[in-house]
Amino acid sequence: MIVANYLTSAAVFCLGLYTLLTRRNMIKMVMGLSLMEGSTYLLFVSLAYRARSTAPVLLGPPHGQSPNQLAHGDAADPVLQNFCLTAIVIGVAVTAVFLAVVVRIAQHYRTLDSDDVREMRG
Amino acid sequence: MRGKGTPVVEREPQHRRALGLGLTAATAVVLCAGYLTAPREHAPLPAVARYALVTALPDWKLLEPVNEVVYGSRGFDTFGETFLLLAAVVSVIVLTRPREARAGYFGEHTAGEREQREIDPQQPPNSEEREAREADEHEQEEHEGRRRRLDDDPDQERLGRHDPERAESLTVVTRTAIRLAAPVLAVTGFYLVAWGYSPGGGFPGGAVMLGVLLLAYAGFGRRRIAKVAKPKLLETTELAGALLIIATELFGLLLKGSFSANWLPLTAPGTIRSGGVVQLFSVGELIEVGTGLAIVVFAVLGVRQDWARHDDEGDDGDEGHDGERSP
Repeated sequence: MIVANYLTSAAVFCLGLYTLLTRRNMIKMVMGLSLMEGSTYLLFVSLAYRARSTAPVLLGPPHGQSPNQLAHGDAADPVLQNFCLTAIVIGVAVTAVFLAVVVRIAQHYRTLDSDDVREMRG
Repeated sequence: MRGKGTPVVEREPQHRRALGLGLTAATAVVLCAGYLTAPREHAPLPAVARYALVTALPDWKLLEPVNEVVYGSRGFDTFGETFLLLAAVVSVIVLTRPREARAGYFGEHTAGEREQREIDPQQPPNSEEREAREADEHEQEEHEGRRRRLDDDPDQERLGRHDPERAESLTVVTRTAIRLAAPVLAVTGFYLVAWGYSPGGGFPGGAVMLGVLLLAYAGFGRRRIAKVAKPKLLETTELAGALLIIATELFGLLLKGSFSANWLPLTAPGTIRSGGVVQLFSVGELIEVGTGLAIVVFAVLGVRQDWARHDDEGDDGDEGHDGERSP
């Protein structure tokens, strides 16, 4: 049933994308980007999951299994969990930079409407 | 006057809804098609995950494979990620710093500042100038002193003042709760890093430290936190964290011939130094993430100056640009 997680992740990503494409309020655009980031966290954690597995911690394996046995299939994928951590840090950094830009644009042009910021048009 | 029964619906401006909907639908189709072929819960672990699980304990003496991946197998990526965070912090500092001259050569506007301030820089100040300066300083101190008396300690503030209460500090109940919770949280943050069993080590540790600082900020207000979280101190500490990470990785290159190789003696798993170089990297990451995020948050919170265009001189700042739009 992990497919439900994947599809939820796709739905959250699309929600973020739709927000980004159609909203003119720049704060909402940043929120859309955050939604898209959030969907990747859900995707990574879901991809890392294995049925009846434990967390990838080699301390005290269940039912007398050795750490080596855990490594052969009974633990969640540590690499994808690590990707999730990476994505969170980068997401925070990117959101902070975008918010700083939005604050400056709002101060400079006295608007949050991206259509009013005509000088930014390419 | 609006009718009583009609709900007020403010229509938010949107643009290109049909195009946005079409693109989103196309993306949804592509994503769903891709995700449906992704590995499911019964798939075997990929080779790279098995490698991490097998090498964590014998090679790195770590019981936590996620930590081994972060600082060991993917150490180079983590290194890059750390400096991406540093780049983001620098960008936010540049974006949020107070207004300064954007035109002309750098430093032009401050070149003659000292000479302008003094009547004749060659001559020692005469009694008139000294007197004026003293009065000026006295006035400024008095002004700041009065502000400090009122704002420094929220517990001493008189209740029921007429002027509107500034959103600087919360109630005494919240402040007491924060005083109790913050040290526990801080110890947790250090524990997460010191024992290396937390996924990611320095990342969650740094985030917890930021949480402590934000709790204190929410409870006691900016002015009291500003005494501890000085921008200069935070920036220097952050760069020290970055330096620690660079040194840790470079020593691996110099001593063992590969970037991020373990050059520290490993101890038994479950002890505080069991990870060797991983622990050191993790501590660097704690400093980097904790201070970096704090700088970013306070920089964004503290944006005050305005870059609104002004023609000649005159720091009109916030005034005079309402309703104006660029052509």
